[in-house]
Amino acid sequence: MAYDHTLFRAAVDRRRFLAGSAALGAGVLTMGIPRLARADSPPLLVTSIRSLSNPYHAVWKVGADAFAKQMGLEHVTLVTEGNSEKGISDINAMIAKTNGHMVLNVDPNNTPDARPIVEACAKAGVFVVTWWNKPADLHPWDFNPHYISHIEFDGTSSGAYIAEELFKAMGGTGGFVAIGGIISDSASIDRRRGMLAALKKNPKITLLDWQTGEWQSQKAFDITSSWLTRFGPKIKGIWAANDDMGTGALEALRSQGLAGQIPVVGIDGIKAAVEAVKAGEFACTVSSDPYWQGGIGLSMGLEAAQGKFDPSKEPKLHREFNASTVKITSANVDAYIKTQVDTHPQIDWTNLWDRVASPITYS
Amino acid sequence: MDARVSVVETTKEIAGTEARASARSSFLKKRLGRFAPLLVLGALCLLLGLLNPSFFSLRNLIWGVANQAAIPLILSMGATFIIIMGSIDLSIEGVLCVGAMIVALLCTNDANSHHFGWWGPLLALLACTALGLLNGLVHVGLRIPSFMATLGLWFVGLGIGTVILGGTAVRVLDPHIRGIAFTRILDVPMAVWIAIAAFLLALLIERCTRFGRYVFAIGGGEDIAKLSGVPVARTRILAFTLAGFFTGIASLLASAQLGQANTTIADGRLFMTITAVVVGGTALTGGYGSVVNSLVGTLTVVVLANGMVLLGISPYVHETVQGLMIIAAVALSVRRGAQLVIK
Repeated sequence: MAYDHTLFRAAVDRRRFLAGSAALGAGVLTMGIPRLARADSPPLLVTSIRSLSNPYHAVWKVGADAFAKQMGLEHVTLVTEGNSEKGISDINAMIAKTNGHMVLNVDPNNTPDARPIVEACAKAGVFVVTWWNKPADLHPWDFNPHYISHIEFDGTSSGAYIAEELFKAMGGTGGFVAIGGIISDSASIDRRRGMLAALKKNPKITLLDWQTGEWQSQKAFDITSSWLTRFGPKIKGIWAANDDMGTGALEALRSQGLAGQIPVVGIDGIKAAVEAVKAGEFACTVSSDPYWQGGIGLSMGLEAAQGKFDPSKEPKLHREFNASTVKITSANVDAYIKTQVDTHPQIDWTNLWDRVASPITYS
Repeated sequence: MDARVSVVETTKEIAGTEARASARSSFLKKRLGRFAPLLVLGALCLLLGLLNPSFFSLRNLIWGVANQAAIPLILSMGATFIIIMGSIDLSIEGVLCVGAMIVALLCTNDANSHHFGWWGPLLALLACTALGLLNGLVHVGLRIPSFMATLGLWFVGLGIGTVILGGTAVRVLDPHIRGIAFTRILDVPMAVWIAIAAFLLALLIERCTRFGRYVFAIGGGEDIAKLSGVPVARTRILAFTLAGFFTGIASLLASAQLGQANTTIADGRLFMTITAVVVGGTALTGGYGSVVNSLVGTLTVVVLANGMVLLGISPYVHETVQGLMIIAAVALSVRRGAQLVIK
């Protein structure tokens, strides 16, 4: 009871109440200011991503911060934590707070989320770039000029590319095993489709088994250990839908003294995988370059907001496209480590369209 | 008259036989119920062995089963005491993440220039034990149900990991620590020996210490235990501390095995641990169970996962098969007569 009592008193404490209302009043007042200052002050840079606990989005934020620092602008990162509601309401709160004086680079938590986010931005005059997830019937040109671009990476061609590299490393013949991501995940489906397409082109290669490691290193470790007893020396290569699982498989190989003898491939270009490419344990990995993603989306927004280009005049290929990936093999791994891992990469942020690779196709 | 007497006597006789028969069958049921998890495991192994003889190969038993069971077994040791006590520990993944992070950041790694070697695991063990103690203190001291207290600490642990690691993976480069995953004694990896040692330690605590008996007394009926002079608060705190200690050992193995620490290192461990304990026959209601049951449960879960890969079962149906197996295993081992209310 005493516990409840103190809580209640704290809630109606007069001094706190007054302080609270003063802060609220000040907030309401200052909300009007950006509108006045809008013409000359630069907009706030806002990034919305899933979490900071996965390597991919962590690097994304590093790239966004680097861009903001280079521009001398303020940058805010919003995190959805896998919660669509939170993601959307945080963005709306930020639009209200800045009174629409911001640009947004967003990786929507889920496909349907893109629509309310884009609609809110267009209404408030916020320039926005979306990545990966959007409904097929939502197009940037329907929200001219504020919805600048939607960008994805072609999972099918990445899945096919690493499979081809794996087959090359296997000497063009023999059996391999494949670890996929979460079965219902679209990235997982696309990458697997690419792998199967590459398999069709190589009749001397056989797929011994396909299992799902749910994007997790530990699961891949366990599955690979079991595969090694089931197939033994028949396994000549391991295809993984992402690097985290690929490194898990590699550690399972290492524990049985097989690291480096059976090539592994993955996607994402995480540090452990890049170093494994250097050590000759990975045949290759592919990176969507989240550092670039974090910066370029904001750069597009900023340039549009500053009137340096008009998104509505850009060709459709610039509004919706698959961006090119960075491929890391033994041939370029040393240079890659020197320029991308040991130091932060030097990217020309004004070159907005140099990674446009192909139009997005909807199945 | 005579006929009536004989009818009565016959009825009595029948009743007697029935009573004896039912006593015998309930005795049989009890025995069977007790050994049901072991029978499930045996049947599963036999089935897998028949379908794919390589299941019984030494290589599979060591690498496919024992090595994969090492971490889940250690985690389930701590969880067993807590579940017998009628509580639950949901903080496993958070605590494991903190432990693995400490191991990786203090030994030779690719993120900083520390190389404190074995001080890392020691500190990780201490930190995990301390987090377990905190679980117990919050649960007992603030009288918060263990479900909520440990749920909170789960996210605190993951939060600490996210703040410090910022989403990156730290690679373990210390050859001695990696050696836990590679060193073999009698052809069996070190991780398995550590798991066996943890099991024996847990068994010793359960069977030979006053604490072990108190845990059962609390799970069976806390009010009675309290009236009998069992130090309930102290035992509860100690049980959570012990769980933290076991999680600490597991965190060392996890970081050694994967050669890295990141915030997602423990994903899925909680579900697997609780499943292993329950499939082993330890009652979630508390008061009944054993670390031996958890050993059987862990092996069942691991053999099942191993078997799916060995048999080449399509991953599209994995989850369904796993779910059905869990229900079947629990259905066989649950002591229906002993529970008045099923929640």
